[in-house]
Amino acid sequence: MKVKMLILFALFPLLCGCIPTNTLDQTLMVEGEGFDYIGHGKVMGTVVMPSFIDTGTQGSQGTGIPATASMIRNLSGVTYDGKSLVDKFQSQGQEVMRVGSMKVMLFNKKMAEHGLSRQMSFRNRDPDVPSAISVAVVEGSTKKILTATDYQTQIPIARYIQHMIAQNSQQNYPTTNLRYFLDSYYGDYMDPFMPIILKNGDHLEIDGLALFRKAKYVMRIGENKMFLFKMLYEKFNQGVYDYQFSSGKHVAIRNVQASVKYHVVGGNSASPKIIALVNVKGYIRQASPKTINTKSTSAMERKIAESLSTNAEKMVCQFQKRGTDPLRLGDTVRSFTHHFDGKTWDERYPNADFHCRVQVKIVQTGISS
Amino acid sequence: MMIHKEDVLILFFRKKRTDHAIQIDSVTDLFKKLEKVPDFIHFEHKGKDFTCWISFIQTLVDVEYLHRDVFPYLYSDQTHNLTEVQDQIPTEKVIRTKDLSLIQSRLLDGYTIIQESEKKPDCLIIPSVKIKGREIEKSENETSVLGPREAFVESADLNINLIRKRIPIPQFMFEDMRIGKISKTRICVIYIDGIANKDNIQTVKQRIHDLEITSMIDSTMLALMISDNNNSIFPQFIDTERPDRVAGALYEGKIAVIVDGSPNALILPASIIEFFVAFDDYFLVWPIATAYRLLRLFAVAFSVISSSVYVAILTYHYQLIPDNLIPSLFTSRTTIPYAPLSEVLVLEIMIELLREAVARLPTKVGQTIGIVGGIVVGTASVQAGIVSNFLLIIIALSALSAFITPNYRMAATIRFIRFPFILSAQILGLLGISLCFLIFVNHLTRLTSLGRPYIEPIYPTRISDLKDAFIRLPLNFQNMRPLFLRPSDSKRFNNQRAHEKVGPKHSELDD
Repeated sequence: MKVKMLILFALFPLLCGCIPTNTLDQTLMVEGEGFDYIGHGKVMGTVVMPSFIDTGTQGSQGTGIPATASMIRNLSGVTYDGKSLVDKFQSQGQEVMRVGSMKVMLFNKKMAEHGLSRQMSFRNRDPDVPSAISVAVVEGSTKKILTATDYQTQIPIARYIQHMIAQNSQQNYPTTNLRYFLDSYYGDYMDPFMPIILKNGDHLEIDGLALFRKAKYVMRIGENKMFLFKMLYEKFNQGVYDYQFSSGKHVAIRNVQASVKYHVVGGNSASPKIIALVNVKGYIRQASPKTINTKSTSAMERKIAESLSTNAEKMVCQFQKRGTDPLRLGDTVRSFTHHFDGKTWDERYPNADFHCRVQVKIVQTGISS
Repeated sequence: MMIHKEDVLILFFRKKRTDHAIQIDSVTDLFKKLEKVPDFIHFEHKGKDFTCWISFIQTLVDVEYLHRDVFPYLYSDQTHNLTEVQDQIPTEKVIRTKDLSLIQSRLLDGYTIIQESEKKPDCLIIPSVKIKGREIEKSENETSVLGPREAFVESADLNINLIRKRIPIPQFMFEDMRIGKISKTRICVIYIDGIANKDNIQTVKQRIHDLEITSMIDSTMLALMISDNNNSIFPQFIDTERPDRVAGALYEGKIAVIVDGSPNALILPASIIEFFVAFDDYFLVWPIATAYRLLRLFAVAFSVISSSVYVAILTYHYQLIPDNLIPSLFTSRTTIPYAPLSEVLVLEIMIELLREAVARLPTKVGQTIGIVGGIVVGTASVQAGIVSNFLLIIIALSALSAFITPNYRMAATIRFIRFPFILSAQILGLLGISLCFLIFVNHLTRLTSLGRPYIEPIYPTRISDLKDAFIRLPLNFQNMRPLFLRPSDSKRFNNQRAHEKVGPKHSELDD
C-alpha cells in the first residue's frame, strides 16, 4: 500500500505542464472591450490592455512617473457579432492575451439596439471572464472612448470607467454589472439594464440608464429619475433626491435609508394591482433659504413623498408602455401569486395597475436649525 | 586452505564475538580491566587493626571529601571490619553488596569501593561523586520577558532539584532507568502520582525500557527514538529547557523525561497546539495572551503558505491579483529572468543558507553574517534583477514568522514544509496547494503522541480543551485538566469557588 502511494506521489510531478500557465509577466491582460455596430452583422471591436512602464528604478521613487502609470495599448478591427475579440487579435499580441482580469465591456447605442444576445451568449459561456465586470452602453463610439488619450486623469481607461460606475452605484445609480445583467436577461419576467456613459470633452460622465427588452435596447431614463428607479429597485442609502417644489426653489434630501416592499393583488387577473410601499429616511442636504425649518418638516415630508410617488408611477407607466420590466415587477407578481400564469404575463404587464406609496421621514435638517 | 561456507557467511554477516576478555566475572576481573586506566586508583590501606582495599576513579570522585570524611574513619583505631566502617562513616546510603554489576556501575559513577581483601566480592560502596558542571543559567532558546529565567543544566540531579522545588508534594515521583547497552545512561521518568494517567506512564517506561541502543547522548535523541511515528516531520514531544514549563506540565498530568547529560527535558504526550504556546502566555491577561496566540497561528499559516501562494498566483491565477497591485507586481517582475518558482526557490534557499550559517557560527561572527546576508545580499539581488523586491518582502516576512514559533523543532518543521507547498503550487496552482494541505492534514489526523491524537482539540473535537488552545480563557475557567491526557484526576479545582471573589466585599471595606 505504502509503495503504491509512493509511486503515486512520485508520478505527481509528471503532471507538470499539463495545465497551461498564465505567468503574470507573460500575459497581456485585456482590461476592456468595446463593440461598435457597423451594420450587416459586423462589429468594430476594440480591446485595451495596459502595458506597464518599467520605471528603471524599482518602486515608485526615482523617476517622476508613479508606479501605477501605464500606457494603454489598444487594438481594433472589424469582425462579426459574437466573435471573441481576444482570439481575433491574438495574432497581434507578443504575449498570450487573457481576459481574466477584464474590468469593463462597452457597447455603443447602435449595438444595443441591434441586440446583445450573441455577445451575452458568448460571455456567459466563457469561464475566464469575471462576472463582476462593468457593462455600459456608450453614447457615441466605444472605440473613441477606449482609445482617447486626452483624459484629465492618468488612470487606465478601463479602470476609470469601472470606478466611475462603481462609485455612482453607491449613490443614485442601481447596482449593475455583468452578473446582474445576465441574471435579468436569462431570468423570466424581468429585463436587464445598463448605465449609459458618454465622453464629454476631456472627461467621461455617466448619464442615465439604458433599458432593454430582452437583449434589445428600448428606452433610456435620465439622470433625474435615478433616485426613483433605485428606490423601487433595491434597498439603498446615500442617494440624493432633488425636489423642486416651485420654480427656482429646491430641496435636496439625502437618504440614510430607503427600502421597498411590494404587495400584489390579483396576480392572475387581466390587470394585476401592484403596490410598492417605499420608506425613505433622510436628512436635508440643501434647501433654498427659508423653505424649511423644524416646524415645516412634516409638511415637507408629505410634499416630497407625493412628488416621489407620482413621479415613480409615471416612470413605471412609461416602462409598461415600452414593454420593458427592469424593476422585475413580473417576478414580484409571480412570487405573490399561486399558480402564476406566466404565458400571458407579457400581455397583461402593460395593463398592470401600479401604485406607489411613499413615506418620507426627515431625520435632520442640517446644523443650522 | 579449506574455508567452510559457514565461516564465510559468518565473516560477512555475523561477526563472531571473540571479546571474551571483556567478560567480567568477578571483582578481580573488573579491577584487572581497569588497571590500564590512568585515573583508576586502587591501593591497599594497611592499618594497625584493619586492612582494606580502596578503589575509585580519581576524575569522578570528590577526593577532598574522601580525605576529609571517609579516610579518617578507616584509619582510626576503632574500626576492625567492614561492618564497623559502615556504621561509623557519617555518610548516608552506604551500600554493602556482592552484586558485581552494581559495583561496576557505581564505581564508574564516582562511588568509592572498599574491600577487606582484594579478592573478596564483599564490597562497601560509599557515595563520593564529584558534581562539577555548569551553573544554572538563564534559558537561551526559550526566553521570555516575564516569569522564571532558570534553565536546565546537564546534570540530572540538578534538573530534578529545579523541578522538585516547584512541586513540593510527596506525590512527586520519579523513576530511574538505565538505558544504553554500553553507556547505561541515567534516565528519569517524572510524574505526579495520582494526576498522571497510569497508561501513559506505563507506555513511556516501556518504550524507554525496550530501546535497543548502545548510548544515549541527549533527550532530543530519546524523543526521536520513542516517538510514535519516527518518519513524521512533526515533533511529537515537546523538549524544553525551562523547569517552570515542566512543572506546569506535570501539574497538568503530563510526564517529563530527563536524560543525564542533557539540558532539555521532554514533556509527553503533546498535542500540536502546545508547540505554538509560549509559556509566558500564562503570565499575561487572557485577551492579550489570546491575541498573541492567534498572532502566532497567523504567522505559521503565513509562513507556510505565502511563498507558495506567490508562486501559484503568479504562475496560474493572475485573475486574483487586486487591481492596484498589478502594476507594482508587474514592473517588479518584468526584469526577472526566471519563472516565479525558481525565483522563490533561490530566495528561500538563500534564507535557509543564512539561517544555517548563523546557527553554526560563533555569535559575534553570526551577527555580521546576518547583516551581510539580510541587507547586502537581499538588496543586491533585487537590484541585480534576480529576485523581485515584492518577493523579498514576502520571503523575509515568512522567514520571520517561522521563527515566531516558540519550539525550535516545530520551527524547523514549518520551514521545511514550505518546500512541498511551493513545488505543488508550481504543479497545480492553488489546487496544488490545497492538495498538499490535504496530504498534511491527512498525516496529522493519523499522527499520535503516546497513543493520544496529535491534533486533539481540533480532531477529535474536545470543547473543554479548546479553552486553552487557540484562545486562552481566564485561569479560573481552566478548572479541568486537559481531556487529551486522560488524567487520573481530571478536575483541577472547584469551578464555582473559583468564580467567587475572595476577601471582604466592598461594603465591608466601607465600614
